[in-house]
Amino acid sequence: MSNQVNTQVVILGGGPGGYSAAFRAADLGLEAVIVERYNVLGGVCLNVGCIPSKALLHLAKHIEDAKHMGAEGVEFAAPKIDLDKIRKHKDEKVIGTLTGGLAQMAKMRKVQVVTGNGEFVSDKQLKVTDKDGKETLVNFEHAIIAAGSQSIKLPFVPHDDERIWDSTAALELRFIPERMLILGGGIIGLEMGTVYSALGATVDVVEMTDQLIPPADKDIMKAYMKMIKSKFDNIMLSTKAAKVEAKKDGIYVTFEGDKAPTDPVKYDAVLVAVGRAPNGKKLAAEKAGVKVTDRGFIEVDKQLRTNVKNIFAIGDIIGQPMLAHKAVHEGHVAAEVISGKKHYFDPKVIPSIAYTDPELAWAGLTEKEAKEQGIDYEVAVFPWSASGRAIAQGATDGMTKLLFDKNHRIIGGAMVGPNAGELLGEVCLAIEMGCDAEDIALTVHAHPTLHESIGLAAEVYEGSITDLPNKKAVKKK
Amino acid sequence: MANRKEVFAPDVGGEVEIIEVLVSPGDSLNAEDALFTVESDKASMDIPAPFAGVVAELKVKVGDKINEGDLLALFEAAEAAAEPKAEAKAEPKAEPKVDAKPEPKAEAKPEPKQEPKAEAKPAAKAASKTIEVTVPDIGTDGEVDVIDVLVSVGDSIDAEAGLITVETDKATMDVPSSHAGTVESVAVKTGDKVKQGSLVITLKVADASADASSEASSDSSVDSSADSSSDSSAAESAASQPAANETRKQPPVPDHPMDRKARSEESVAYASPAVRRLAREFGVDLHKVNGSGRKQRIMKEDVQEFVKYELSRPKATASTNTSQGGGGLQVIAQPKVDFSKFGEIEQVPLTRIQKISGPNLHRNWVTIPHVTQFDEADITELEAFRKQENELQAKQKNGIKITPLVFIMKAAAKALRAYPVFNSSLAEDGESLIMKKYVHIGIAVDTPNGLVVPVIRDVDQKGIYQLSEELAEISAKARDGKLKATDMQGGCFSISSLGGIGGTAFTPIVNAPEVAILGVSKSDMKPQWNGKEFVPRLMLPLSLSYDHRVIDGAVAARFSVYLSAVLGDIRKLVL
Repeated sequence: MSNQVNTQVVILGGGPGGYSAAFRAADLGLEAVIVERYNVLGGVCLNVGCIPSKALLHLAKHIEDAKHMGAEGVEFAAPKIDLDKIRKHKDEKVIGTLTGGLAQMAKMRKVQVVTGNGEFVSDKQLKVTDKDGKETLVNFEHAIIAAGSQSIKLPFVPHDDERIWDSTAALELRFIPERMLILGGGIIGLEMGTVYSALGATVDVVEMTDQLIPPADKDIMKAYMKMIKSKFDNIMLSTKAAKVEAKKDGIYVTFEGDKAPTDPVKYDAVLVAVGRAPNGKKLAAEKAGVKVTDRGFIEVDKQLRTNVKNIFAIGDIIGQPMLAHKAVHEGHVAAEVISGKKHYFDPKVIPSIAYTDPELAWAGLTEKEAKEQGIDYEVAVFPWSASGRAIAQGATDGMTKLLFDKNHRIIGGAMVGPNAGELLGEVCLAIEMGCDAEDIALTVHAHPTLHESIGLAAEVYEGSITDLPNKKAVKKK
Repeated sequence: MANRKEVFAPDVGGEVEIIEVLVSPGDSLNAEDALFTVESDKASMDIPAPFAGVVAELKVKVGDKINEGDLLALFEAAEAAAEPKAEAKAEPKAEPKVDAKPEPKAEAKPEPKQEPKAEAKPAAKAASKTIEVTVPDIGTDGEVDVIDVLVSVGDSIDAEAGLITVETDKATMDVPSSHAGTVESVAVKTGDKVKQGSLVITLKVADASADASSEASSDSSVDSSADSSSDSSAAESAASQPAANETRKQPPVPDHPMDRKARSEESVAYASPAVRRLAREFGVDLHKVNGSGRKQRIMKEDVQEFVKYELSRPKATASTNTSQGGGGLQVIAQPKVDFSKFGEIEQVPLTRIQKISGPNLHRNWVTIPHVTQFDEADITELEAFRKQENELQAKQKNGIKITPLVFIMKAAAKALRAYPVFNSSLAEDGESLIMKKYVHIGIAVDTPNGLVVPVIRDVDQKGIYQLSEELAEISAKARDGKLKATDMQGGCFSISSLGGIGGTAFTPIVNAPEVAILGVSKSDMKPQWNGKEFVPRLMLPLSLSYDHRVIDGAVAARFSVYLSAVLGDIRKLVL
């Protein structure tokens, strides 16, 4: 006889979207139960994603910075890398602190966590099977599906081999490969490549399209490439890995395309980072009547409701962008709607950040998107070569770019350079609040800072800039 | 690559709903080709392409509500579309050029207009080939009746020549031939029902290696060269070339709701996330809220004020915020009657215009407190003068005949100036009057499909002859079903003349937001007491209905008397 749990809301998945939804539901007076297959909350983001990668990028940044200090007159000895210690720090100090905090908060809110794999039995019941095969039935009034996504596996890649990694494996720091290939030039691959490059690996990147981080604008990528190039040995754009063979002495990869080396290249490790696929097909959602698309996504309305009235879905499983911060907000809205509030998920922007060195960050429309949507826009760029702060910290290749519509209202922003991700908040807020270029230009930004570049880019647009030659200056006769 | 040009909604007379998308991305269009069909509360109409080009992207879909200036589509406009035309002009159309010139965009894409299935069989170098000509999209979903077959086997026809005449709920129209050639067989006969894609004829055509360019040429020979210049021809209604414009593709598949963020309403309103959330909770359309913050930013207080105001304000006619409009009349349901019990019956659907105008008439009838003032105008002198003038005109062979209606319009314009309250509308909040400084008069026109009310502008400033011409023109347009929505907007006052038919009086329904309407019945010779004796005078019965919320009975009586006086002595018109 299996256990039975009754609850008002069950949340399937304990990642950022799931636990946020559960906590919000609890705070709104609802009984909430989280079903999570691992024995810690936090999902991919906390355990094997955003957070541990940031811990490692933090180290990488210091290693790289120390290396470059020589040019400014301070020489450090070559770093000594203790992988065990790094791993321990990452797992205990960083991940442990956060997951411990989450467990604590779940307890405080009386949110029960049922560990095991959840599958729908009906639109009222979920069956949870733990790793020992023990079953728990969760009877619910409402469900929020927050089951996330997983790395895409490629058919021609021998994923079983120890030396073929997905992002999770790469974060385990099994060893530092001498030569490493990143398959896929997106954010995840580049972040891990940055880490391993700093730890001493020679890293190649192969990307099928003609630029890394395909959604970003060309000018931004030009600045980005200038800075990131040194981290990688060979960046092969418009190229794909055609064959991946695991041999005893290494992984042999054959390339095809523009930048393909003629012979197969031997690598000590290959990170496959070609994207993530939703877990929609693993939930027996059809038993609840929830529609799942061919690709495994679950469609929802603006209140995050699926085609089944009492079942909601949030996060990676409902579509791109697959980002924790999107899931968290969706989780809140779903919980609020269940509690009877008439809320909608309707942000104007969802920011994106690559935490590489330099960072690349954007929010709102890119120039590409503005063009596709036929929006009349104007670009204003402030190059960091004109920023005192950037010069002082050797970040002159950075840039800040803002997009304004014909009503002078900000519709997008992107920046590249150290701390770009931290600067993005102002742009997000400006877009949500409907700021004009003038509003941003008239806001006093502290000097000297990097965020000042946002105010200055707005001044470029307004024609009030004095830190650069002013194209909009009144012409003297 | 040609640059992308934006297509914005023209003046469509307020918010209208898209009921049909007539083109798909990739279609190559001429200026004036219909893009969308929209439906307003008055009529449905097509939105024409303002310039030629290839549809790159559609920004709206069926069900969207659009206003003037909304982005509708992106065109790869340009030389691409213009060039084949220019070339075609130089060449006779039967001789399509073989050296396919660059612009693959324009040529490769079949003309949506009249390219049914021609590209299917490319006859290599043969001198001729046989193609099938099918019924293009004629704007109706179902089948239509063939009421005439215009060609027979062996006929040599030009492209664009009419093949059959079909009757839709809107109009009768000819289905044109997509190509020039000789008719090999005719697949339909009178009385058949056809729909889009039905085979009409098979046609033997000359060498077809360059179909697309021959398309372009036949095109340009039909359409005037004004087509290539965008704006000047935009004024011309798409409906004025019914048959030529009728071939259409199926609308593209509607997009997924999750893709709609870019066009969602709240992305445009100037309000922060917290205010947008508040508005959602109260179901407030932020576009209707005036922002009190800096640069008209909408603040939370503005939303609260809006809700308070909406709850408390007196509602004008046809409240814009409730779907019921009439404010929920409590009446018992109509009893169900099986008419066939009493004899033979036949069920005939209402015409499109009836379906659209019915609810409006109903709303006006139940929401406006109507009063009808009757009067008679002595038009003996007017008629004498008019006949005399018409005889003069006939001699000069100018062909213009003045009707009594024009004098009535002129006199009404004069009366509207004298009693400006008749030339007003009730403001939406029901608390003030909007006085109009212009005099546009709507004329009810009886058409085969139903009643329409085109508007003649600035009646007070135009002479009798100019008005006569305009009236003749717009009435013809109305009867041909070619009126644009803008032709029916902006009226200050309406006249419904049934004088040509008969009757002594009737009670017309005010055409909201106007506040009065003049009904005219048949004039009749009647004895009038002149103080000494009865004399025969030609008397014209007038029925003036007005909105009693706006107009007092005394004012209405004065207006009516004034109007009769002017008609009785048209010298007053020049005073």
